[in-house]
Amino acid sequence: MKRVCLLIIMSALLVAGCGGSSHSSSGGGSTSGSSAGGHVNITIWHGYTDQEATAIKALAKEFNATHSNVTVTPQFYGNSDYALQKVLAAIAGGKPPDISYLYGSWAANIATNPSTVELGPYIEKDPSWNWNDFWQAARNVGTVNGKIIGVPALIDNLALVWNKKLFAQAGIPAPTANWTWTDFENAAIKLTNPAKKQFGWAYVNDASEDTVWRYWAMLWQAGGSILTPDGKQAAFDSPAGLKAMTLLQTLAGHNSIYLDDGSDTYLGVFTSGHIGMLWTGPWDLSQITAGNQPYGVQILPADQNHQTISGPDNWVVFNNGAARVKAAIEFLKWFTSPAIDLKWAMMTGDLPIRASVMNQPGYQQFVKKYPGIGVWVQNLKNATQSRPVTTTYPKISTVVGQAVQSVLLGKAQPQQALSSAAQQVNGILSAPS
Amino acid sequence: MTARAERIRASDQRPALWRRVLGSEHLAGWAFVTPAVVLIAVFFLIPIGWALLLSFQANNLLAPGHYIGLANYRALAKDPQFRSAIGHTIVYTVVFVPVSIIGALGLAVALDRRIRGISFYRLAVFVPLVTSTVATGIVFLWLLDPTFGVVNYLLHLVGLPQQKFLQDPNQAIYCIVAMTVWGWLGFDVIVFLAALQSIPQDLLEASEIDGAGKWATFRSVVFPLLGPATLFLVVWSTINALQLFDEIYVTTRGGPLGSTTVIVYYLYEQAFQFFNAGYGAAIAYVLFAAILVVTLLQLWIGRRRVYYVS
Amino acid sequence: MFLIPVAVIMLAPLVWMLILSLETSSEAQSFPPVVLPSGPHFHNYVTTWNSEPFGNFFLNSAIYSLATVVGNLLFCSLAAYAFARLRFFGRDVLFVVLLATLMVPFQVLLIPTFLIVKHLGLVDSVGGLIMPNLCSAFGIFMLRQFFRTLPIELEEAARIDGTSRLGILFKIVLPLSLPALATLGIIQFMWSWNDFLWPLIIIDTASHAPLQLGLATLQGAHRSHWNLVMAGTVMSQIPMLIVFLFAQRWFIRSIAFTGIKQ
Repeated sequence: MKRVCLLIIMSALLVAGCGGSSHSSSGGGSTSGSSAGGHVNITIWHGYTDQEATAIKALAKEFNATHSNVTVTPQFYGNSDYALQKVLAAIAGGKPPDISYLYGSWAANIATNPSTVELGPYIEKDPSWNWNDFWQAARNVGTVNGKIIGVPALIDNLALVWNKKLFAQAGIPAPTANWTWTDFENAAIKLTNPAKKQFGWAYVNDASEDTVWRYWAMLWQAGGSILTPDGKQAAFDSPAGLKAMTLLQTLAGHNSIYLDDGSDTYLGVFTSGHIGMLWTGPWDLSQITAGNQPYGVQILPADQNHQTISGPDNWVVFNNGAARVKAAIEFLKWFTSPAIDLKWAMMTGDLPIRASVMNQPGYQQFVKKYPGIGVWVQNLKNATQSRPVTTTYPKISTVVGQAVQSVLLGKAQPQQALSSAAQQVNGILSAPS
Repeated sequence: MTARAERIRASDQRPALWRRVLGSEHLAGWAFVTPAVVLIAVFFLIPIGWALLLSFQANNLLAPGHYIGLANYRALAKDPQFRSAIGHTIVYTVVFVPVSIIGALGLAVALDRRIRGISFYRLAVFVPLVTSTVATGIVFLWLLDPTFGVVNYLLHLVGLPQQKFLQDPNQAIYCIVAMTVWGWLGFDVIVFLAALQSIPQDLLEASEIDGAGKWATFRSVVFPLLGPATLFLVVWSTINALQLFDEIYVTTRGGPLGSTTVIVYYLYEQAFQFFNAGYGAAIAYVLFAAILVVTLLQLWIGRRRVYYVS
Repeated sequence: MFLIPVAVIMLAPLVWMLILSLETSSEAQSFPPVVLPSGPHFHNYVTTWNSEPFGNFFLNSAIYSLATVVGNLLFCSLAAYAFARLRFFGRDVLFVVLLATLMVPFQVLLIPTFLIVKHLGLVDSVGGLIMPNLCSAFGIFMLRQFFRTLPIELEEAARIDGTSRLGILFKIVLPLSLPALATLGIIQFMWSWNDFLWPLIIIDTASHAPLQLGLATLQGAHRSHWNLVMAGTVMSQIPMLIVFLFAQRWFIRSIAFTGIKQ
């Protein structure tokens, strides 16, 4: 009898503990809603850490202080792929966040969701958005089949970062804006020194999109394209594609490439002085600067052109009712306005999301604060092409990633890898969805 | 017979029906399992049913899905990448399970002593188990880096050739075995330790008195009595090995060249990278069926060969 | 004694993490790694603690872990005893059905589980963390195996004496199963303490987050201060090691067997 009582008490305590600490039940955006006085609460989900996390909290506070009818609450949702699972769960539960940071590669699929807000009508009605001021590549990624579903959240691109000390030791002149692939190849080979465990270049070789997008930059530089203009067939199995793949094979064959396994150890290897050149973006800048290796930044070498690739991400708005949608759009317009965006750039080292930010007073301080960042901003002009924004792109990426990886590991010949990849991609593109 | 026993026997002759029902073993059994069954039914069986429904749909978890019958399963039967995934999973399981259990048994016996500092050694064996998978992944990636890793450095010192480890399609899966054995050994060890502690002292003493050496005692007394624990660990390790995911996710991401893409990783790719959740659910169900068959087989063998003291 | 090299292999990565946690950010980022830091930077721990509401994280994890340990010990013991000792209709089929719940990967279950917890109104709460983890077939399976190794004579004697089945469980079986219960307690504690994915899905507000989710805020997609990440990791492991040291006291050879065997 005593035992049964004990059992009942313990069970009751458990349940009470559970019930007592539960809060509002409305899922993602649990503190959201609108009250009778017209005050709206919205949540914004992000994966920011470090300076970016500090920045978004600060800017949200500033917005809340200056907009009395809206309160924005930023919430951290983990990073990279895990975030997608959380967003999908919230959507399945019928209570998505009001705004969410979503990778550009997810855009095409996110657009299929009924509660994704189509932003075109709002932007057309309000010219103060100055929509074309956003960089082209960023606008491309937020537009799926002609419909705008994302406000640019991040823009970056790949540029060449080089180690001044190693270049001097090897007697190689500094890379210029006129550098060709041949210059690049020769420099990489000259900088390779197995005895000192020194590499000329680094490449992320985990067969993920990180592996693929560098290859796309090379493909475009050689004058090639990913798909045919109608988007129905692979076009990278071309002389341009072969030239790019062969360059990779040559350099890998000389052991000139430090092959990163996806954990970004290349950064530590660079800052400890073992790599001559990186193709990387502004996200690595703060650690490169802290790394005490004298470095320089230059645009990528050219074969036929100096094209680079950009990896933009989006702020997507979900429909939780007209009032909250309106508030969310208001916040995003404020957040991406030139003055505020410059503040963001100053705090985080991210590139400005709009061209007109370069005309803002204080822009020069930004360039000074992050040595080398000016090159990346200028390089945005070279980011003229984009990856296809389609639901099949992730599969295409996997196929090409494995092709590049097999060449870098010396397990396949360039032409063979390309042909096989093209065949698979054509199969993916022609399959019924 | 005591007076009390007499009374009990007497009452046993004519128990009231309600007393018979309420005292019946059937009711007692169900009463005991009910809390567990309710919790597991709500939080596991219902989601498992939901996933089954999902496997009959074409669904990206964003747009409304639609039913396509068995199409996902038929596609799986023809999917060469799924077959590769099965192969990699089997290789992993077949190496991981025996290595980890035999290793753990040896360690547990060594740790089943009352020597000074034994707590420290037990703790040392336990530490990898509590280390988060992310931290373990990072550490092993560093250790096994082909250029700068410690392991290649040690190989170099003893004159052995440098290896590519996680960047070599032929070696990567075995590196994962090493990493998971390191991480999970502690679990098997404490289960074995608990089982060893439950072996009656007098049985061991009797064996000693009979003149049996340590190894003979182990073989004929200790090991048979570890049967239930061993069966549990074999079943549990197999179930886990067949569902390997986290360690792959934090290190090789299924590579290089797909050599470490195991079934659950393939599922994850399909559901959360290619937005093909219905197909992913079908993969889960095929895996589930396979695990169920293997487990039942193991339990059946166990029933015939495992000795329970009672 | 081969225990020493084994201990070295088991502990080496932890030692390395400790070293990393005491380095500066650029030293920790370095590759090949810096083995001798410039000076033990203990303030990394302070910085990490202050950077996020770690007090909340620890508290949430403690509640989550303790509740799931108590729940599992209680409900799994009850069920395991029934499966081990009682004969009831449908017993073996039910056992396999429960065991089957361990065979479906969590990736496909996390969304429907989220939906159920949402229906219960427990999203973004510690209760939502706890409920799906209050009882697992793992514990039932393990305890059943252990209970069946106990000699049945003790229980039969007690039954004849008129003890209720619940009484047998609590007065005889459980006291003899301390090592097994300690094992289940340690394992369940560790799972809840280390849990990341489920908390990520269910928790929105930072102050409700348990530890591993809280630590994730230190680890960016590209920018990680490894020294701080490792400091956080080391801090999060210490309670589990304490729990283990405490619980392994129960790994003592039971002395209740003497005199029973005929």
